Amino acid sequence: MAPLEPWEKVLVDAGKFLPTDHGQIACMECHNGVQASEKEAAHVGLIASPSSEPEKYCGGECHSEQVATYPFALHSTQQGYWTALEARGGSHPALDEMFGNHCATCHTTCGECHVSQPKNVGGGLFTGHVFETTPPMTRSCTACHGSRVGNEFLGKNEGIPGDVHFREARMNCVKCHEGEDMHGTATDAMTAEVNRFAGTESPKCVDCHEEAAPNGDNNPMHQVHGDTLSCQVCHSVTYTSCDGCHVAVSETSGNPFFETDATYQTFLIGRNPIQSEERPYAFVPVRHTPVTADAYEYYGENLLPNFNAAPTWVYSTPHNIQKNTAQNISCETCHNGDASIFLTADKVRPEEMEANLSVIVESLPPMLTLEQTLNAPTTPASHLEHASNSCTACHTKGIRNAPVSPEDHVIYKDRNCSGCHKLQK
Amino acid sequence: MKLKPIGLLIAGACLIAACATVKVESPTGTEPPLATEAVLASTPEADKCLACHTDKQRLIDTAKPVELAEAESKGVG
Repeated sequence: MAPLEPWEKVLVDAGKFLPTDHGQIACMECHNGVQASEKEAAHVGLIASPSSEPEKYCGGECHSEQVATYPFALHSTQQGYWTALEARGGSHPALDEMFGNHCATCHTTCGECHVSQPKNVGGGLFTGHVFETTPPMTRSCTACHGSRVGNEFLGKNEGIPGDVHFREARMNCVKCHEGEDMHGTATDAMTAEVNRFAGTESPKCVDCHEEAAPNGDNNPMHQVHGDTLSCQVCHSVTYTSCDGCHVAVSETSGNPFFETDATYQTFLIGRNPIQSEERPYAFVPVRHTPVTADAYEYYGENLLPNFNAAPTWVYSTPHNIQKNTAQNISCETCHNGDASIFLTADKVRPEEMEANLSVIVESLPPMLTLEQTLNAPTTPASHLEHASNSCTACHTKGIRNAPVSPEDHVIYKDRNCSGCHKLQK
Repeated sequence: MKLKPIGLLIAGACLIAACATVKVESPTGTEPPLATEAVLASTPEADKCLACHTDKQRLIDTAKPVELAEAESKGVG
């Protein structure tokens, strides 16, 4: 995105803007200021970004629904950052200061998606002050979400194709991420999302690709893995990971800055660290976040005393979906095949080992034929009522006449029995 | 014959009166009426904010010179 000239950022296109609904409102109704010919006098009391106060300027009869939820939406609260910070560091005034300097700039107002580029990327009106119902993708969404999501989706990482939804269908972000995802649904802090992977999986691939849902089509891969692997495990390709981000305030300029040690391309399948009813997958692609135990050292010592409380290889949904990938070409790629695509312990730094115990893949999936998988005995429907979800509790020793699992099954442990032994209908 | 112009006058007056009572329905019945000053202000001629912000040359002339700060961050954000 090319930077805009200062005049370009504030040029109003009367022909386009004035006939719109918002163009019927006098400038000063929202922006305050003074009717004067001189710039300085006219800008006395100016409110450059009225939607910083959505209740005052955007609600009322027009956008009350969005205004009720947006203060509790992730783009507004940035709760995703706080959730990670609090897990590792608890509550600390130095972290608040750090957040204010380095993270708070990502807070987004209504106007920063619908009328101008976000301040964080330089600002500037999109279309002469016309309010865009659909934010322009590259000037709004990927202007902020650029280095990972944007580059992956648009195919800007050298040698790696862009997402099929963009390449083939020219879909933009809002085709999947609808208004509700952006504006939020909670109307109070208690029910607000704690991060983007909390609660309902939305958007969800199978909402459009119904046939790919478990038991949705005859594709044996979907039948076998539909509820044990996230779609991205089979359908995404190499994506960006980062290492060692440190933040500080410049002694020369007084401006906050950051430094990352490395950025590189990875594709690694790990265990799902946030397995839930909504995201039941046993395995997901994992991306390395650049957090380190001393990332915020500038602001104080040992600010992340619980560094190991959250993995540094995190649940990820790479935005570079392909129909055919190296890993979905055959069963053997994963089953007794390519260890390089799994997050095994040897790929984790010693100082991050403890933090990632919930993600590290201890053993590779053993060789299985498709027939074996599809013909595996089903789990009786009555097992749904079992209080324990530990299959091996009974099936290792044959307690209560349970069939004893074969010796070669020891590799599976409890985590993915249901991958082959589907629940009887 | 003298009554003819008077008749025309009366007919004209009736027509004007009829036009004056025509009620114009708002295309969106529930839309609240716009404030008079808002309508009046929303033209570059009447509003000094718009007069400046629709004038490219004036914006160029009055823009604050950009101070290019050296990027201090390193790596991908």
